Amino acid sequence: MRIIAALGMVALLAACSSGTTDGAGTPAADAGPVTLQYWCWGQPTKDKVEAFNKAHPDIRVQHTDTGGGTDTAAKLLTASRAGNAPDVACVEYQTLPAMIVAGALADISAHTADVKDAFSPEVWSLTSFDGAVYGIPQDVGPMVLVYNRARFGELGIEPPATWEDFAKTAAEVRKKDPGAYLATFAPAEFGNFAGLAQQAGASWWTVRDTTWTVGIADPASLEVAAYWQNLIDEDLVKAEPLLTPEWNNQLNKGKILSWPSALWGPSVLYGIAEKQAGDWAIAPLPQWTPGDERVAFQGGTALTVTKNSKHAQAAATFAKWMNTDKAAYDIQIAKGEYPASLAGQRATGESEPPPLVAGQKDYWQVATKAAQSTIPHLSWGPNVSTAQSAFQDAMSAAVRDKTPLAEALKKTQQAVVDDMKSTGFKVAGP
Amino acid sequence: MTGGPGGPGARRGARAPYLFVAPAVLLFVAFLAVPIGYAVYLSARGLRLTGGGVFGTREEVFVGLDNYVKTLTDPEFFAGFGRLALYGLISVPLTLGLALLFALLIDHAGSRARRFSRTAIFLPYAVPGVTASLLWGFMYLPSTSPFSYLTRELGLGEIPFLGAGGIYPSVANVAVWGGVGFNMIIIFTSLRGIPAELSDAARIDGASEWRIAWHVKIPLVTPALVLTGLFALIGTLQVYGEPTTLRPMTPEISQVWVPLMQIYRDAFLRDDLPLASAASVILAAGTLLVSVVLLKVTQRRASGGMG
Repeated sequence: MRIIAALGMVALLAACSSGTTDGAGTPAADAGPVTLQYWCWGQPTKDKVEAFNKAHPDIRVQHTDTGGGTDTAAKLLTASRAGNAPDVACVEYQTLPAMIVAGALADISAHTADVKDAFSPEVWSLTSFDGAVYGIPQDVGPMVLVYNRARFGELGIEPPATWEDFAKTAAEVRKKDPGAYLATFAPAEFGNFAGLAQQAGASWWTVRDTTWTVGIADPASLEVAAYWQNLIDEDLVKAEPLLTPEWNNQLNKGKILSWPSALWGPSVLYGIAEKQAGDWAIAPLPQWTPGDERVAFQGGTALTVTKNSKHAQAAATFAKWMNTDKAAYDIQIAKGEYPASLAGQRATGESEPPPLVAGQKDYWQVATKAAQSTIPHLSWGPNVSTAQSAFQDAMSAAVRDKTPLAEALKKTQQAVVDDMKSTGFKVAGP
Repeated sequence: MTGGPGGPGARRGARAPYLFVAPAVLLFVAFLAVPIGYAVYLSARGLRLTGGGVFGTREEVFVGLDNYVKTLTDPEFFAGFGRLALYGLISVPLTLGLALLFALLIDHAGSRARRFSRTAIFLPYAVPGVTASLLWGFMYLPSTSPFSYLTRELGLGEIPFLGAGGIYPSVANVAVWGGVGFNMIIIFTSLRGIPAELSDAARIDGASEWRIAWHVKIPLVTPALVLTGLFALIGTLQVYGEPTTLRPMTPEISQVWVPLMQIYRDAFLRDDLPLASAASVILAAGTLLVSVVLLKVTQRRASGGMG
């Protein structure tokens, strides 16, 4: 079914984009407005595109919601190989290297000199590699603990400051309300685990002189696995997939009390637990070392310009406007998305918190603090999708069969290294 | 087809058959032969790293049989077929058995509300597979399942529909629920084609309805059973929608649970279309082989039984 839908989408867009390239081929058409195809998902997208179109009579952007980061990446790769990718597409930071290696994205460094300083160096480094720029950052997801403050109050517990406290709090929750869990260990949450491991000091991919090192099963990652292993073994967290009808139901009943995720967490939860608006809040993510403040990014997207695009300049103009203009980031903030640009982040100070956390007065302060404490740039590898699917299957099997999570990590590491070697990458180690 | 020997119409007539088959041949070539040929071609290609760009770029090159070797030495691919076999062992006999049973019951002269039953049993076939999977998914998940609600109220705990023991019956059930009606109609149509005299004669000879069904009707609908059996078998080899839709609800279903899911993952998530093509070619060849064997075996049996 999904294949058919994807093929249908590709065919449809092929029809659209071939229409536009025909028009642009003739010199006379250059006078008229340029039409750009744009693939993205996320709540603020539609309104932002409308605002852009209103402000730019010479560029018309046609937006298609291609559904989520993984789906969009799959469609973008397929369309790109067929030569009819859209002009601009949203790509998650973790997928960027894979897209670059697939030859899908254009280097837009010639057009970005004027916006480079609109972003912090950490954020800018998410999309630029060795001077080449492959996208304009749209939103970032510094990790925070999203928790049900109302239920925390009922049970008389506080958001834990360290992971050690987090385990103690989890035990307390089980004692005070045997039907409830402090949190979930979702075996399919690749990005989440990567973020937690990075916070502990892991480094999953590094590259030096074209030789890669893969550290998915490095000591820090194994330590994080051991930590969650213990919580699962003691029945202190719920080990099951997130955001399923089952999980949503438990959350709505107040039986899942927190979600260590990122700043986009509240808007995701609002989508499934509207009734709990105002009950939730965010707190800094627990730390491995007391007094530490650093957190990783989880998720977040950039607007990229494809190699297939015939209108790189107009596409870059669009990508820049979408992520630096006041009108654009105001829409983002109103929908609960945390902007990547410095001006956007500053503007959050005067904004209302998103509906799920409406009761939290210091929401944006906590958010800004998290954003300022992010670890510079987790380097993602060229085959993150392989890593992700290997991770998800190995972790799910480990949770199901009650085998060690550490073994699942090692299995993932091996699958990633084997895949990179067979593609022709130089990889250090076995 | 050709005109009479000699005659002026002979030459004109010789062209006519080609004209008549041309549309079918064109469609076959454009939508079947060319895509299959392209898949075979792709399966001998591979994406390998070349210089250029900050990390290098993956380019398509000729790799010979690499993809076939990789697929045929992948234990996960064969484990997928193993899971498929387990699933098929449940779904195929149940679908055919229930379809035959319902067809015989509706065909039975004494049964009431036939038209209604026929429609009611056929109706699930009209529900798209993804919708059916979601619908059943909700009925499986502990906190939304009406069955688990009942057992919980009775103090028996929840039924692990999506747990290790329940996953095969649960996935098969979705297919059985959707497939029985369609197969029933085929068998029922075949039953209607049996002359009434045969049953009447058996009845006059004192045969019970049970014996009539077993010794008269079932042997005569064997061709329909073979056909539905073949459909069910091919359907099993191509299982994709149900487990894919149920996957987010349970860790039991991995991304490579059945071969087609692995092919999807390799093609669209891992961006390795050549590897996926090789696996597709293997799956298609296997399906063809199994179908031919099934037809040969059943043809011999069917004619042997009749003779």
